[in-house]
Amino acid sequence: MKSKSLRLFGYVRGAAALLVAFLVALVLIFLSSDEPLVALRYMLLGPAASWSKICRVLAYMIPITFTGLATCIMFSANQFNLAGEGCISAGGFVGALVAIYCPMPTVIHQIVCILAGALIGGLIMLIPGFLKTRWGVSEMVVSLMLNYIILDVTMQFLTQNFADRSQGATMTFPYKSSAIIPKIFAGEQVSYGILIAIAMAVLCWFFLYRTKWGYAIRMVGINKEFSQYSGIKVGAIVILCQVVGGILAGMGGVVTQLGYFQQYRWTALTGYGWDGITLAILAANNPIFIPIAAFFVAWLQYGCELMNTWTTVPVEMMDLISVVIFLFFAADQFLSGFRQKLVVRETKKELAEKAAQQSKKGGEAHV
Amino acid sequence: MSNILSSILTTSFAASIIRIMVPILFAALAASITEKAGVVNIGLEGTMSLCALIAVTCAWKSGSTLVGVLGAMALGILLSLMIGFFAFKFKTDIILCGIAVNTLGEGGAVLLLYLLTGSKGDTQTVMGAWSLPRVTVPLLSKIPVIGEIFFTNQSILTYVAFLCVLLVWILLYKTPLGIRIRAVGENDHAADSVGVGVYKIKYTSLILCGILCGMAGAYMSMSYMTMFSKGMIAGRGFIALAAQAMGRGEPVGVMLSSLLFGFAQALANYVKGTNLPARLVEALPYVVTILGITIYAISTFNKTRKIRARKEKKEQKKAAA
Repeated sequence: MKSKSLRLFGYVRGAAALLVAFLVALVLIFLSSDEPLVALRYMLLGPAASWSKICRVLAYMIPITFTGLATCIMFSANQFNLAGEGCISAGGFVGALVAIYCPMPTVIHQIVCILAGALIGGLIMLIPGFLKTRWGVSEMVVSLMLNYIILDVTMQFLTQNFADRSQGATMTFPYKSSAIIPKIFAGEQVSYGILIAIAMAVLCWFFLYRTKWGYAIRMVGINKEFSQYSGIKVGAIVILCQVVGGILAGMGGVVTQLGYFQQYRWTALTGYGWDGITLAILAANNPIFIPIAAFFVAWLQYGCELMNTWTTVPVEMMDLISVVIFLFFAADQFLSGFRQKLVVRETKKELAEKAAQQSKKGGEAHV
Repeated sequence: MSNILSSILTTSFAASIIRIMVPILFAALAASITEKAGVVNIGLEGTMSLCALIAVTCAWKSGSTLVGVLGAMALGILLSLMIGFFAFKFKTDIILCGIAVNTLGEGGAVLLLYLLTGSKGDTQTVMGAWSLPRVTVPLLSKIPVIGEIFFTNQSILTYVAFLCVLLVWILLYKTPLGIRIRAVGENDHAADSVGVGVYKIKYTSLILCGILCGMAGAYMSMSYMTMFSKGMIAGRGFIALAAQAMGRGEPVGVMLSSLLFGFAQALANYVKGTNLPARLVEALPYVVTILGITIYAISTFNKTRKIRARKEKKEQKKAAA
């Protein structure tokens, strides 16, 4: 049923949304800068200036890939859980504690840290999942509250119990060297965590599109009542997708911490959870596209940072680009008039073809 | 412990609760109106942030804080309508629209601040300090304790906020518009079938939401503080959502839950100076919210189950007869 031209339309619409985002950014850059072309060059091409800059883009991809995957899976089941933001901190914090206080041989140490982070993420997400399934409590409000609770609890423990008092800023003691996820290229910022992130993207794609549970998750997202009727345990699926989301976000926190930082020093919410939502929208909830979307967003983010450093345009430009992506990319009815025309044209063509075939047949019969 | 109690039981502590709860109350009332119309607006946080900035800017340009408040209301309406336009016309998911407005409130406010003042931090240096008039109500302030807490030296918007509780209640329960709003929220197909313009009502609820959010923003930048600074809303929009959920969207319930948040925040501010775990105290309102909405959900869950059980019993009896 979905014809080639309609699928093409999907891409055209996506491109149009990005174009709108770009135009908005362009207007604002011209407004806020005396040398707009220089600013624009920094934003779009800045990250390509050197190998180490490209490596930074790759490093920034890591956390948002994980939160993007988490969001993909939860949004696929239509669960608007926004606690990816908190879970990445919680996972990162618990993973950090394991990395500092539990000496272990390397490789095993990293694995245990990541598992600990995943476990705490999954456990946290059990709360909104269970409350939603059992009593129908809105997962959105619960998850928003959880973000703040997580921040407050981690900060309490960090400042009271685990802070390194010899440092000026609030941070833990340094990670054991056995727990550090090594950098891929010496001296550059990207760690092997990027490979873990991409592997998880493939795994998530497999989970969502090639397993029974993934199928159930997507079905619940499309039509909850029908899924219930056809024998899918909707409640279990609602919990499952959120727990998987928590596991992914928790892992992301640990991988980011051990690959990028020397000690835990997130003292505020990171914003990676919200970036994850942007990614899920860009990738249309398909995990396999998340790394590509992450690269795009990471590139723009770093480009905006460079623009902020070298010109007068604030780094917050990135937020505006995200806003336009949010509003237009996920808009079902954006350019709907155009789609309507496309559908009408297609159908007319089909009808004409059929009519032509029939008249041909009719003609033959007469002869 | 008695030490803490004695300092909590002071009128200045109570007055600080009021000061903290007012913006939350405005925004939570705003959320109640849209919620009753079945519109989930989670963009309160961003709307408040931009409105706070515009309030100071308008006051600075015109020299009048009243114009500031009006400007903030106008922007609040505009942003709410934007959410409505994208959600109803373009069919973007309304939660994503809300997140977009929040992102706009975070980044857009800084960008706008920079365009207006050249500073990326606050408006203080360029625009100076702006404060809405503080009012001491003549006779009422003489009432012992209560007079000192409520009626002495409070921002004029504080009184407006409590007045709004009453106004929103009247709007929702005593006017035709209120009935329509609730009908649309309850079942928009049914409302549509009896000739209620569903989208018109939803847009109306968003406009009212924008007005209240505008006042919340104006209070933040011209009463709570006397300037706009980056990140000043600090999650109050989300707390308001929680207050709305906990108060079940009923104006009085929303007022009480806002009071609870104000209390917890004021307590946490106080505890910061002692050796008690301040951050855990700060987390309390959020925990209470989750408990609150869960308890509410359980009670409705049990109610519907009881009704269903009763129905089944009746049917069984009928079948037996």
